[in-house]
Amino acid sequence: MTAAATPTPHDGIRMALFSSRIESVARKMQNTLFRTARSGILNTAHDFSCCILTSDCRLLGAAESLPIHTLIGPDLMCEAVKRHHPTLHRGDCFLHNSPYEGNSHAADHCLIVPVMDEDDVLRFFVLAKAHQADCGNARPSTYLADVADVYEEGALIFSATKIQTDYQDNQDIIRMCRARIRVPDQWWGDYLAALGSVRIGERGLLELGREAGFDALNDYAEAWFDYSERKMVEAIRRLSSGRATARTKHDPFPGVPDGIPIKVEVEIDAEAGRITVDLRDNPDCQPSGLNLTEATAVSGAMVGIYNGIMDHTVPANAGSFRCLDIKVRENCCVGIPRHPHSCSVATTNLADRVTNPVQRAIAEIARGFGMAETGPIMPPGIAVISGRDPRHDGAPFVNQLHLAISGGAGTPASDGFLSIIHAGNAGLSRIDCVEVDELHHPIIVSTRRLVPDTEGAGEHRGALAIHGEFGPIEDCDLRVLYTMDGSINAAAGAAGGSSGSPSRALRRGRDGSLTELPACHGLTLAPGERVVSFSAAGGGYGSPLDRDPGLVLQDVAEGWISAERARAVYGVVIETKGNDMAIDNAATRALRQGCATGENGS
Amino acid sequence: MRLACDTGGTFTDLVVERAGEIRLFKASTVPADPVQGVLDVLGLAAVAFGLDRAAFLAEATTFIHGTTRAINAILTGNTARTAFLTTEGHPDVLVIREGGRIEPFNFMVPYPEPYVPKRLTFEVPERIDAAGRVVLPLDEAAMLAIIERLKELEVEAVGVCLLWSVVNGVHERRVGELLAAHLPGVAVTLSHVLNPTLREYRRASATVIDASLKPLMFAYLDGLTDRLREAGFRGRTLMVTSGGGIMDAEDVARSPIHSINSGPAMAPVAGRFYADRDFGSAMAIVADTGGTSYDVSLVRDGRIPWTRETWLGQRFRGHMTGFPSVDVKSIGAGGGSIAWVDSGGLLRVGPGSAGSTPGPVAYGKGGTEPTVTDCSLILGHIDADFFLGGAMPLDRAAAVAALDTKVASRLGLQVEEAAAAVLALATEKMVGAIDEITVNQGIDPSSAVLIGGGGAAGLNAVAVGRRLGCAGVLIPEAGAVLSAAGALMSELASDYARMLFTTSQTFAHDAVDAVLAELERRCEAFARGPGEGALETTIEFSAEARYPHQIWEIEVPLAGRRIDGPEALAALKSAFHDTHKTIFEISDPGSGVEFVTWRARVRCRLRAAGAGRVPPPAGGADLPASRRVYVAGTGWVEARIARFEAMRPDEPLPGPAIVESSFTTVVVDPGTTAVRTAGGGLRVTF
Repeated sequence: MTAAATPTPHDGIRMALFSSRIESVARKMQNTLFRTARSGILNTAHDFSCCILTSDCRLLGAAESLPIHTLIGPDLMCEAVKRHHPTLHRGDCFLHNSPYEGNSHAADHCLIVPVMDEDDVLRFFVLAKAHQADCGNARPSTYLADVADVYEEGALIFSATKIQTDYQDNQDIIRMCRARIRVPDQWWGDYLAALGSVRIGERGLLELGREAGFDALNDYAEAWFDYSERKMVEAIRRLSSGRATARTKHDPFPGVPDGIPIKVEVEIDAEAGRITVDLRDNPDCQPSGLNLTEATAVSGAMVGIYNGIMDHTVPANAGSFRCLDIKVRENCCVGIPRHPHSCSVATTNLADRVTNPVQRAIAEIARGFGMAETGPIMPPGIAVISGRDPRHDGAPFVNQLHLAISGGAGTPASDGFLSIIHAGNAGLSRIDCVEVDELHHPIIVSTRRLVPDTEGAGEHRGALAIHGEFGPIEDCDLRVLYTMDGSINAAAGAAGGSSGSPSRALRRGRDGSLTELPACHGLTLAPGERVVSFSAAGGGYGSPLDRDPGLVLQDVAEGWISAERARAVYGVVIETKGNDMAIDNAATRALRQGCATGENGS
Repeated sequence: MRLACDTGGTFTDLVVERAGEIRLFKASTVPADPVQGVLDVLGLAAVAFGLDRAAFLAEATTFIHGTTRAINAILTGNTARTAFLTTEGHPDVLVIREGGRIEPFNFMVPYPEPYVPKRLTFEVPERIDAAGRVVLPLDEAAMLAIIERLKELEVEAVGVCLLWSVVNGVHERRVGELLAAHLPGVAVTLSHVLNPTLREYRRASATVIDASLKPLMFAYLDGLTDRLREAGFRGRTLMVTSGGGIMDAEDVARSPIHSINSGPAMAPVAGRFYADRDFGSAMAIVADTGGTSYDVSLVRDGRIPWTRETWLGQRFRGHMTGFPSVDVKSIGAGGGSIAWVDSGGLLRVGPGSAGSTPGPVAYGKGGTEPTVTDCSLILGHIDADFFLGGAMPLDRAAAVAALDTKVASRLGLQVEEAAAAVLALATEKMVGAIDEITVNQGIDPSSAVLIGGGGAAGLNAVAVGRRLGCAGVLIPEAGAVLSAAGALMSELASDYARMLFTTSQTFAHDAVDAVLAELERRCEAFARGPGEGALETTIEFSAEARYPHQIWEIEVPLAGRRIDGPEALAALKSAFHDTHKTIFEISDPGSGVEFVTWRARVRCRLRAAGAGRVPPPAGGADLPASRRVYVAGTGWVEARIARFEAMRPDEPLPGPAIVESSFTTVVVDPGTTAVRTAGGGLRVTF
């Protein structure tokens, strides 16, 4: 494909106005959802996305939404709506969460509203995707990895289900959800919040259309896509051409006792401004909830590319997507899932196992680009917890915590971003406050701290691991479910950087004793017991021997790394005099020269 | 006579209110000794009134001061060496923060550093739980050891934030006592006293910021009051606060965090008054246009909405204070914002700014990048010879040349078309900022009036108001000094809060009663103390409430001072449902309501309401009757010119027209009509 035509004079202005309006509408949708949602996963952790698509289902704008939610998927879901409902009307709203038709995992409920003009002609779609605290699964977690298929997973699956006609709820569907989703009032409140969001988006676009005319908006949209494509071509042209194959492996889980090896083949054609990722040579769908959906497989690869090009001014929309070719196949665990395989964990574990090698492969092809690997996700620090709250007459509760997670990868320009959460999230969700979690759930968080010497070393180091520890209060048994990757296969470094520390889960008994826990597990804690979580640290980018000694000194002074590690891994010698620390420049130079020539053997 | 003085980065502004008139003076800020700049501007004013400075100051009853001193100290890292004391097991509260990030694919911006470095962070062995029970008693011996370490490290200030101190402050108070006894002379801030709010990061952040400012703000305010007294001032020195009120200078020295966002907080105070007087409108969007930033705030039903999400610097990249302050949305768009064309051929305005130095190209002070102000000049909106009343001639040819090279030729446009496009885009950014804050606070712009403040407001306020579909636009007479005018109108105020969780189903009548009674006692004590002699004292109560499982509370006013029975509770519930529906489009009337925090705000009015009038200038430059201005889509047209101060009420001026004063220029677009109000403002409707 060739680059888009050069712009006409006025495009530069109209596009700027148009894109600003579209982003503004998407931001209003997000604010509404965040402020009114009932569950912690939405109103505290901000695990949702809002986006706007053209009437032919191309992604136009998504404000600052989770990349794994929005790059690819909203388009496929709007297509599903059109397929199942050839005639659309103003006032319609569709509930969709089918992993087989464009969604991520079933816990992400999407509300889709077709934006119809005065003549009932389809002009845009608005979509809000919100991770539910519960989605009716067989067990109280929105991530069930140890299930053979969707039947064992148990989620309610909705395929473009018309939940509103003429702005009125279909009570039959509301009752279905209330009957099958745990803590139904919480679900109902979250439904209202998402509904408010899509209706506010619809109103904003109708106003825009009345003002500017919908046909003119179409022209602006095309110009905006062309602009985005040109920006992407320009970004890719800064890279080197080449091919690389990168491999990684998801840890063994129930149902996949040998783990899942993943291979990505990345080809950059800098001249043509194109990047191709081939995911087809990977295992078939597995008897596990880890399988990806088409949306998360393709988006996962794309996240690695947008991370790797190091140019955030490229708008991530259907225009810049034209430069990318992500090849997936049917019935593949990182491709298009075949019913009834389960995709219960499709946004996180294996999706990151696609993103991470892509960004590492880019670093291999084009030095100064790409990234190291982000820490694998889902230690108990972000478990789904449930039980009955003794403070509220035993009322049931269920929610995912975002308490103790880190994982940012070293990049060519910066150290790992501490609160990145996981690769597909990009740090856009929030981290819980201890006080909010303790107020809302009958738990006590005894510890949350960074763990020194865990970072993937590098010229730009990975984020440190976080140690979190929590358990139930008196008179409460706490159910904790998690699906932890990265306890065996840690986040790899790139371009000479080293791996971050692995994740780890333990149980602390009433007597303080510690017992190691499995990677994919559910446990019930009695009062006085705690679950102990170590998140996976991020990988490093570039050789640690190239790290600025001043930054190494800063890390030692702050206690992020020990003086011993500074010397052994970074080749920096630090002297301590009273309250002050300083670099021993001469010793550092000698040590680094020795390390570089291999004489010190470290 | 009352004085309001605002020390900014470049200028120190003074507004003098005397015998029903207000007059404005400006002097250069003296960065090394800001009090000198204050004394300089007072000297200028004295001369204008034909008095020596001591005689002039002797007439003044009140000196209201705003300063960027605290915020600048934070931005430049010149605060005290501050330690952070936290609950054992939770040393990284300031590092882990609350997460969140902007620009998902931007890895050029590093993770923010904590406000207090880890090496000055100490874990205190103690724990209180969510119910306020002591889980682990405070280890006083360990605390004394920490104090020894603080001495060795020569710490100058200490912020203490322990988990759940807002529910039970016993440990924080004891730590405070030990610090006072063993570390005398070191500034201490306790979180539950300063900012009794849930969420440990934002409470800790406010606490350490406050502590870190104490030594320098104490010294500054002490020096200011001393030197004003030496110069002959015998009145009361007050400071403007981020809450849009004023406080005695010595109280601000005790909790200086009150002063960090005080600048933008004053504009809505003035906006509220002008909207009501000149437009009869209870809803107002107040936009204050500066050289580099555009600050938007709101007035809803006569109240100025607050937020607890106040950031120093960019959202998620700076530090959050979690301190209640006037909800102001600031974006980097102003007269100094630079226009450019990116590599994809897209027109951009900002985020780069030429600021006041070197400033726009037309200033001739070395600026080479075309700015929004340059575009206004190119379009004829600004008169090159009458800028700031003719005080500063502008170079239009240089502006044209710069815009042509950097923007117009790259887009293949005429230079006027390019200039009009830059203004349209700047307008759009401003509209975006307003959209965001109005949806957050539940205001429909079409029912509101847009108040333009700041010297550059008039250049596109009409365009912004029209684009939003506002009821109209108002440029107050004192619009160019809206913040200082607000300072003169603001009331002595104090805000008290207590957390007490209860629900509408199991409402704790007695406990709520006790909390409200305590808040009322504190308000009354304030009224008897700092508020003594006020013309009028009001106390307003409110509850912060939410639906079950929600987490972001909204503020609902209480009709009375107590919830004294089922009817009062039903009324409060119903007010909550209504407010929720107004803000968020949805409500859930079948649901119960949770009440989290109870607040009381006492306001003591020190003077009669209203604002003085600006006297007409003596003489003043003669203006031509019309000049040519460029209108997008039409081209050059002849526009009438009117002198702001000379316009008479009820003589409508149809656009295209330009209204000019020594402080501001208002562009009256075609299809709109301007009229002077009885209060002296300019009202534009469309």
